[in-house]
Amino acid sequence: MTLINDRVEVSVDKTGSPIGFSWKGGHYLVNSKPVRWFARKQWWVESARVQRGIGAGVLEVEMWRMIAADPAKKQNQFELVHDAMLDVWRLVRVYE
Amino acid sequence: MFTHLNVASAFSGHYGVTRPELLVEAAASQGASALAITDRDGLYGAVKHMGACLKLGIDPIVGVNLAVKDLGRVVVLAKGNDGGIGWAALCHVVSAAAKKGKPISITREELAELVIRDGLALCTVLIGQDTDFGFAAINRDRSTAAVALTEWRRFFSAKGALAIELTNHRTEPESAGSSAVASRMLALGDSMGVPSVLTNAVRYLSPDDALTADVLDSARFLEPLGSFTPQPNAQAWLKPPASMVSLAVEITNDRERAQRLLEATEALADRCRLNPPNDCGWGKPKTPEKSTLGIEGNPFEVLWQRAYSAIDWRYPNIKERRLLEIRNRLGKELVTINKLGFATYFLTVADVAQMIRDMKIRIAARGSGAGSLTNYLLGISGVDPIEHDLLFERFLSTERSSLPDIDIDVESARRHDIYRAIFRRYGSNRVTLLSMQSTYRGRGAMRDSGLALGLDEDQIDEIAANMWRFSARSFRSAIAQKPELAMVAEALEKDRKMNLLVDITERLDRLPRHISMHPCGVILGDATLLDLTPVEKSGLGLPMSQFDKDDMDPMGMLKLDVLGVRMQSAMAYAVRELERVKGEVLDLDAIAKDDEATFANIRTTNTLGIFQIESPGQRELTGKHQPTEFNDLTIQISLFRPGPMKGNMIAPYLDGRHGFAKAEYIHPDLEPILRETFGVVIFHEHVLRIFDKMTGCGLAKADEFRRSLEDPRVSASVEQFFRHQAAIRGYSPLVIEKVWEILKSFSSFGFCKAHGAAFALPTYQSAWLKTHHPTEFLAGLFTHDPGMYPRRLLVAEARRLGVNLLPIDVNLSTDEYLVETNGVRMALRDVQGMTEAELERIIENRPYNDVADFYRRARPSRRTLERLATVGALDSLVNGTEYNRGDILARVRELNAIVKRPVADPNQPMLDFELLERLPKGNTAPTKNEIVAAELAILKMDVTGHALEQYRPMLDEMGVVHSSELVGLRNKSEVLVAGIRVATQTPPMRSGKRVVFISLDDGYGCSDSTFFDEAQSRCSHILFNNRILIIAGKTRRTGVNGVSIMAENAWDVRELWSQWKAKSA
Repeated sequence: MTLINDRVEVSVDKTGSPIGFSWKGGHYLVNSKPVRWFARKQWWVESARVQRGIGAGVLEVEMWRMIAADPAKKQNQFELVHDAMLDVWRLVRVYE
Repeated sequence: MFTHLNVASAFSGHYGVTRPELLVEAAASQGASALAITDRDGLYGAVKHMGACLKLGIDPIVGVNLAVKDLGRVVVLAKGNDGGIGWAALCHVVSAAAKKGKPISITREELAELVIRDGLALCTVLIGQDTDFGFAAINRDRSTAAVALTEWRRFFSAKGALAIELTNHRTEPESAGSSAVASRMLALGDSMGVPSVLTNAVRYLSPDDALTADVLDSARFLEPLGSFTPQPNAQAWLKPPASMVSLAVEITNDRERAQRLLEATEALADRCRLNPPNDCGWGKPKTPEKSTLGIEGNPFEVLWQRAYSAIDWRYPNIKERRLLEIRNRLGKELVTINKLGFATYFLTVADVAQMIRDMKIRIAARGSGAGSLTNYLLGISGVDPIEHDLLFERFLSTERSSLPDIDIDVESARRHDIYRAIFRRYGSNRVTLLSMQSTYRGRGAMRDSGLALGLDEDQIDEIAANMWRFSARSFRSAIAQKPELAMVAEALEKDRKMNLLVDITERLDRLPRHISMHPCGVILGDATLLDLTPVEKSGLGLPMSQFDKDDMDPMGMLKLDVLGVRMQSAMAYAVRELERVKGEVLDLDAIAKDDEATFANIRTTNTLGIFQIESPGQRELTGKHQPTEFNDLTIQISLFRPGPMKGNMIAPYLDGRHGFAKAEYIHPDLEPILRETFGVVIFHEHVLRIFDKMTGCGLAKADEFRRSLEDPRVSASVEQFFRHQAAIRGYSPLVIEKVWEILKSFSSFGFCKAHGAAFALPTYQSAWLKTHHPTEFLAGLFTHDPGMYPRRLLVAEARRLGVNLLPIDVNLSTDEYLVETNGVRMALRDVQGMTEAELERIIENRPYNDVADFYRRARPSRRTLERLATVGALDSLVNGTEYNRGDILARVRELNAIVKRPVADPNQPMLDFELLERLPKGNTAPTKNEIVAAELAILKMDVTGHALEQYRPMLDEMGVVHSSELVGLRNKSEVLVAGIRVATQTPPMRSGKRVVFISLDDGYGCSDSTFFDEAQSRCSHILFNNRILIIAGKTRRTGVNGVSIMAENAWDVRELWSQWKAKSA
């Protein structure tokens, strides 16, 4: 497994589930049903404020796991983080 | 629609985040027709939950989240609409689990036994991911899971007794809380015929609250965040139905199966919907059975009979006309009691009161109950409501149907005896103690928040000490506004953790923190009490209900407040010593209430030790007020309360009383009502009478009006009624206008006269004892320490009164302050550092012949022996000889030098040469100043003489006056006073400026000085620190016997002393 932290452009279907993303100039096509879950963050290490009403974004983060194929049809498992507030995606793990 | 079946409220100590009322509101607005509360380990929030559900018209469901021994946690839900057997079973499950103490758990065998009766399930047990079955599912161990589920099914085979709880918290695939695990549990359940339901294992209302849950987890584990496995994410919130449907589909991967899962959930919810009146006895008053109270026949007739036959006891040799008045009033009270169905309630309280009296324990009523003639005749209260003009309607009326509060004050030292006696008399199935939920407030919230962030305790304490005056909710604004918090504000800018600390402190504020025993509440019920409330063990060892005082009225439970009052113990002690030493039998409750000597004594303002009127403020008021009769005490006690003080009632009353201003009654009709207070509306009773007089509404209705005055929603209609009815009765618009203004503004500041009168009784009794039996009374005060001052001040007061203080004597002193024919013997327990065991040995092995004998048989520690010798406790062993305390101390040092202490053996003749008594001779005896200094160090009080006396030569030279001389000085005389600080107060002032009040004791009484801004700045360094002070200022006469000092400066006596000595040397 490789840890990465790259911003990626993701295209999603109408339920918000990724169908493909671009990374390092290549386009990756999702070819499994992506699984979504919520992981947590250590806000006491990372955050500056946690006042009432700040929202769960300080505590939890939306994760996606999927199999995707690169332009050379090579398949790997990928994990993406989705910041729903900013709609920003980052690629964080590749299982090779 | 979706019904949540697993919801922990904030009453799940350090687990749930949201108060039940908020959860119910949210569920109702999501369209739910029912909501469960399933607090951890108890039903702490259940009554509040039911109340909120009833209010919003949805059905409550109640369960508990409980550990099953060795098998994890389950949720147990009570079945509803079954006449209460489901609720009772749930109560018994919780009580059984709590019985064994912490950690709270129940065995599966016991759970099954309580939940299933005659093959019918009274509760449903939900097994989810927190059980052995769930663990196996998480571990993908199908065979272990199957075995576990088989076992659960074997124990809970009755229909409806068991269900699998599926939860999908959208955690990482395959981990606990993920849909994959739930899927496996569902599949196994389906294959084995065990039904499944869906919950969200709710811990908080909204995702944002998950942060608070993290902090609570930290407080529960007693570990900082980061050093334990935290909750996986923020999904455990009260999700709306649509979200729950999605979660179901994620688990089943099959819409049709998801539909059936949701249907099964609703079916279980339906089974558990409670009907609070039918299932839980909601709102139905419960009292002990007649047989338990020893009565036969109609309780009301018994009450009637008892009350009437007590008239002779309470009103002996009474004139026919008054008798008629009494009967009339009693008749009216009893009719109301009967209409409300409270006869058994009154008989119960009377029975408890009688039992307490039979135990020879002093008892007094407090609160509005003193306004009831019935209470007086039944011996519940000792205040005659007719003599003191008190109203029953303030206490009880047909306009309200809640059980009235009757509060009983007893001797504090006997309170636990009374609790035990109540349990014995009514049986432990009918009695429990009451519990109390304490909540997070500023300082506590900050401590637990700081620990969660891993800040060190000193740092937290320092911040908390600065912040405790502000509610946690207003920390941020306080920091921005208060100059003294500038340091904190600066730290906030720099320090991220400080910001987090403030944020999470604000989150914790007002959440329930822990449950403890209510300080005085006892619940009395019938034989079904334990079917209605779960109980746990209190700190006292007696069972305690998990419900708190706010839950009593909704549950129809009878709560009796039996409050321990130290003054009652002190007075009982005085009466006992009087009889023991002088053979004088005194019935304190029978003394005449018009003793002139007692009032003359109060008027001197030397009120130290007297109940309710000994504080500096009350002393000052006494000097101004100069009470002459019992009702004056009632008024004075009532005036010195936050309400009347805020309402500015004191000055107009005093002006009227002393003839400085003519009493203004507005209308002749009001004069009889307000004559006692010179036209000032002080008492709730005044408001009731005015309403009644001017509108003819009746006193019962009048009390409803009084209560609603504070509620802006209804006060407008009360105003309309008042104006209209008063006009019909011919009162002029001007009178109506004036009276309404007073009613409106003064009612919320007023005080219940019955409560004041109930307090005035022990005030009068203690003043009477202080006047006529000062030795016994002070012995009682020393022993039970009822007041606000340190014991050394009472010792000074005793000396001032000429009460002889006898030194500690190992042959005579005990752990109490015994009265002897010539004074009060000081007690052994004041010797600092003496252990309970040492004290017992000393008393047990008496008498002692000489120092070595004491050393050998009482076996005191070296330190205790030396301390006893130093304060003269061994002096009596050499009485009548040529030896002095210096010789004793020398001998003690010899004995303390023996390395190996000889073992005491009464059968052995004493051969040890070292222990043959041989006192050294010719040592110097300590001087009086040395003795007083030693007493202050070892006993924390100056017994032999006043600690100020050693400085007397200097004080005399400076012209320092005695506090007792102040009253003879002209107004605005320049004076110096000295003394030991006994009280320092900085009450909040309307102007916002700080005023410091300091009271000094100089052995002649107390002087009270006031420091305003300028004076404070002159002596700020000693204002709060030094113990012995000289204060310079001008006298300010506040009343006939009232003088205080406007301070200009203050000095440390000891500092001046060393300068003075240097100069005179």
